[in-house]
Amino acid sequence: MKQIAIDLNNVSVSYLHNRRGIYSIKDFVLKGAFFSPFEYKPVLNNINLKVYKGESLGILGRNGEGKSTLLRTIAGIITPNKGTCKVHIEISPLLALGAGLELELTGIENIKIYNALSGNYNKKTIASVIDSVANFSELSMEQLQMPTKMYSTGMLARLAFSSVVTSQPDLMMIDEVLAVGDKGFQEKCKKRIHEIKQAGATILFVSHNPDEILEICERGICLEHGKISYDGTSAEASKTYLKLFN
Amino acid sequence: MKNTKGYTLYFLVYKNLQLKYKHSLLGFVWSFIHPLFYLLIFNFVFSKAFSEIENYSLFVLSGLIFWVYFSGSCNQLSQTFVKNSHLIKSLQVKKILYPISEQLTELVSFLAGFILFIGLMIYLNLNVNITILYIIPIIILFSIFTFSVGLILGSLNVFFRDVGILWNTLNPALFYLTPIAYSFVIIPAQYSFYFKLNPLYHFLYIIRNVLHQGCAPEFYHSMFCIAITSITVLLSILIYHKTKNGFISNL
Repeated sequence: MKQIAIDLNNVSVSYLHNRRGIYSIKDFVLKGAFFSPFEYKPVLNNINLKVYKGESLGILGRNGEGKSTLLRTIAGIITPNKGTCKVHIEISPLLALGAGLELELTGIENIKIYNALSGNYNKKTIASVIDSVANFSELSMEQLQMPTKMYSTGMLARLAFSSVVTSQPDLMMIDEVLAVGDKGFQEKCKKRIHEIKQAGATILFVSHNPDEILEICERGICLEHGKISYDGTSAEASKTYLKLFN
Repeated sequence: MKNTKGYTLYFLVYKNLQLKYKHSLLGFVWSFIHPLFYLLIFNFVFSKAFSEIENYSLFVLSGLIFWVYFSGSCNQLSQTFVKNSHLIKSLQVKKILYPISEQLTELVSFLAGFILFIGLMIYLNLNVNITILYIIPIIILFSIFTFSVGLILGSLNVFFRDVGILWNTLNPALFYLTPIAYSFVIIPAQYSFYFKLNPLYHFLYIIRNVLHQGCAPEFYHSMFCIAITSITVLLSILIYHKTKNGFISNL
């Protein structure tokens, strides 16, 4: 009997959206939008999804179809408007490119703050995390002591990816980070993801590259207009996804 | 894990202080220099005009440092959610911790400057006795008041970015409408009712009781401060709860 890790039940998420593109009080007054200038724009629509422990799930879909929103809902950052979202395993921070990086601060300070904000306060473990991030990312200590605003996109990706994968998370959520970074580092990341998977972690993987999904995940879903249009093997999901563009 | 919120706050304050003072040579000293600079200007410009105020430098100074603390905090807090949007979007941290950490950061730099100012005030013949300890509850109350004003501004600023700009525009007006450089006495009687609607008027009154006249804060004004703080706190909680779920889609 497989254990349920994530259980989404009829989850709907909608964004409070500015009805007439009003972003300032001036427009607000001029356009006379005195009555509710906001409207709800549905992003996710009645999502039912069960993910079992140790499963790796690839999430495919066009831009703006709710993939990142789905991950944020699971991570507990967004509260669904309707339905329930239960997560029975420990959540690791969401891994999206450059998210949570404070550009004025150095790489090391960022690692410290990122760890602290995601629940790791121990000085010793943070020191060892810094070591392993330096190791994995192949960034030199000199580079890690530079403000991250001086980093290239690839370096940011290395830092962001390394600071999450050096630990052994129960649930890993990856949001399109493999796209940047050179070939060597991409291979290294995939290898590491496989290791984490072997150790029994549940993986949610968002990507635009069906090949990557095939490589890493057994199961795949396709999101279309905030609904799951396909749920099955990753091979079939990739086919469904590619069909969208024909 | 115990006391996670405490640690998270500690790290956020650490981060804010780093961001604030990292690229400045003088760092903390700025929270001393900034009011000092204004003090010199006011002393130069107004000390003759308001010669009836006893010990004018001390009078201005006691008002100024609290004004700088208030306007600085509101400024920072009005931007807090916008500034931390990248963290709000990617980490599961209670959102209220961002403005709290911002307020604590401001409090830390305020207190650092305040200790130096106490020295300066004693030099300016502040009457030091046991009643000066009244300033501690006043600082706490004033911080809570400032925090809730800032929280209202910060929450609304997520939806309308001009709230922050509007605040910056109104700031100088509020400065001159608050008796900082001049005394309560010169306010014409027909306007005094409107001046008394300004909560800062009452805060300054009790602050000056302690730091200028060297006596205990007056009962009526203290009660007014407590009442107005309670009302703003309730209002800010209401607005924050009403708006917080819309933050992510508008950041």
